[in-house]
Amino acid sequence: MKAKIGVYVCECGPNIGETIDIPRVLETIPALEGYEDVELVPKSFGLLCSPAGKEYLAKEITDNAFTHLVIAACSPRDHNSTFIGVCKEAGLNPYLYKIINIREHCGWIIHDKEAATDKAIQYIRSGISRVLYQSELFERQLEITPDVLVIGGGIAGMEAALSLASEDRKVYLAEKTGELGGKAASFASLLPRQGRGADVIREKIKAVEENEHILVHLNTELESSIGFLGNFEVVLAGNGDDEKTDLKVGATIIATGYRMSDPGSFTGYEYADTDEVYSSLEIERMNGGEGIALRSGAKPASVALIHCVGRQEKGYCSRICCNYMMKIAGYFKKQSGATEVTEFFFDMCLPHKADQEFFDHSVGLGIDFKRVKEIGLSGTSVEFTETGGGKQRMDFDMVVLASSLEPPEGTEALAELLEIDLDERGFFKEAHQTTDPVATSIDGIFVVGASQGPRGVSDSMLLAQATAGRIRSQLKPGGKIVPEVKVSEIMEAYCTGCRTCLEVCGYGAIYFDDQKGISIVNEAVCRGCGNCFGSCPSGALRTKHFTNKQLYREVTEALK
Amino acid sequence: MTEKQQEREFTPKIVGFLCNWCTYAAADLAGSTKLEISPTLTVIRVMCSSRVDHNLLLTTFFEGADGILIAGCHPGDCHYGKGNYYARRRYAVLKKVMEGLGLEPERLQLSWVSASEGNRYADVVNAFSEKIKALGPNPINGRPDF
Repeated sequence: MKAKIGVYVCECGPNIGETIDIPRVLETIPALEGYEDVELVPKSFGLLCSPAGKEYLAKEITDNAFTHLVIAACSPRDHNSTFIGVCKEAGLNPYLYKIINIREHCGWIIHDKEAATDKAIQYIRSGISRVLYQSELFERQLEITPDVLVIGGGIAGMEAALSLASEDRKVYLAEKTGELGGKAASFASLLPRQGRGADVIREKIKAVEENEHILVHLNTELESSIGFLGNFEVVLAGNGDDEKTDLKVGATIIATGYRMSDPGSFTGYEYADTDEVYSSLEIERMNGGEGIALRSGAKPASVALIHCVGRQEKGYCSRICCNYMMKIAGYFKKQSGATEVTEFFFDMCLPHKADQEFFDHSVGLGIDFKRVKEIGLSGTSVEFTETGGGKQRMDFDMVVLASSLEPPEGTEALAELLEIDLDERGFFKEAHQTTDPVATSIDGIFVVGASQGPRGVSDSMLLAQATAGRIRSQLKPGGKIVPEVKVSEIMEAYCTGCRTCLEVCGYGAIYFDDQKGISIVNEAVCRGCGNCFGSCPSGALRTKHFTNKQLYREVTEALK
Repeated sequence: MTEKQQEREFTPKIVGFLCNWCTYAAADLAGSTKLEISPTLTVIRVMCSSRVDHNLLLTTFFEGADGILIAGCHPGDCHYGKGNYYARRRYAVLKKVMEGLGLEPERLQLSWVSASEGNRYADVVNAFSEKIKALGPNPINGRPDF
């Protein structure tokens, strides 16, 4: 069948209409050399993306029975999807159409109209040439399971589970230890005036336990996970027994939290007295129990609270310590107003809107804040250099350390198992820190709470709720997903089984077929970046819709 | 025409492989800001700079390109994680190959231009175009006889 290509130039109001000589473009197209076997139908229209334009275009496609379509208009980032929709409606496979960006690449940047028109003709020629080598691609719909696995039963994990569990969506909550609640369960209060942490957490635990759509697995860890968004097969394993649970889930949420790093490993803390030097978590426990006391049982008369322990070594601010150290100072002051409390810090981190007020309140309680540039511990005596001052030494009855938060044990193994990345600090890496903060490099695996970096309770809840929102919109019960179709494929006959592509793929989308001795692309996981293509030494890869032939055609026409 | 005139008349043909997420978006921004950009460059959109393999680059030179620009996201900002690092390695290797072919390695340039750097995009393209203009035509226009 002879190819019949519709070539439509959109005037885009004055944007193309006045910057490019459209009549000259339309005159040139039918006379193009090398297309004698092809019927080219060039036309122009005022505004193709308008309702009238879309209707016109759909009718043109049907009436003319085009085999291919080229639209010379704006950036594909603006209206590619609009015209894909028109093609689908008119029964033309959208992968037989191409948009040519003559607005951003010609009309707007080449200020001489004749030169811009020449360039537009060149781009359109490239497009016509390319589109002839494009092939039909077909979108597939895949069934999904809406159920979700949450790893970690702390505040973030429980919040995610509670936000997701419903009549038509089960949540499996796997907790490594024997109880729910995580670190926050031991806090006497959740930051200023937020009530008893234990009470808040107890309520959450109760809500989780009472929710019939949440299935809690205690003393349980993830053993394996394979699959892709909507279709993961995971195995949970008991860490005290041999019990295995096979599950099918649509998504996995990592909420494994943090641990306090060991202060003894940081410069300045090697000689800390182990008896009267405490971690903030120990103080929380004492405060929630019999009250804060020295080993002898006596109440301390003077306390040093040291922030930023290990910050320099770790290379990051742990973000929550300033607030909780002020909270702890408050515990001491409440216990006895006469306790002398001194807080040493390198930098004060007050990221939330109520924090400044809390700081002012703490100063009002008579807490002495000292900004230091150097600090060290010998027993319970603190040697420090204040900013703008000389070296000093002060003795205390008790010292409390806010040691850096770090990823908990098992983080690396979990990342490896799920094939997702860790950042340079060892926490789970978000897909994008700013614009995609709960996703990971694998679609369908999310990371919330302190497992992606130091976070307080409120931020952890926020991330958990955000993730629940993402999952609810991506995995609707009874819904289907349409995986990317512009993916890579491996031509079996050419693959030598070198596995280079497995190494470069950032999504774990390629697996090795031992029997055939070749690599295979899992099309449901592939995102179509083409990195495997660039790495393949035997030319076995093809990137659909960005094939070599298609790109060569574009290049060749551009260089004619 | 004298040689001098020919030199003056030389308009380079440059092909730019731009990644869809960063540099292509920067080109859009440069466009909507109506910055003036040299018409010597033809943009070819790829999803990621890592898709651009050696065959594609060499073919582009053999077909007569006087210069090739590969442009993608800044290191650490790749939409696909690490694609641009792979692109950088492949680029470094090809530079060596170009020397062997008698092609000046400067004819191949890799630049990082983010979606918000419309001005930088215009500067990169215009400067590269000037550079290629100064280098003159591609000495191995046409497929070399190996």
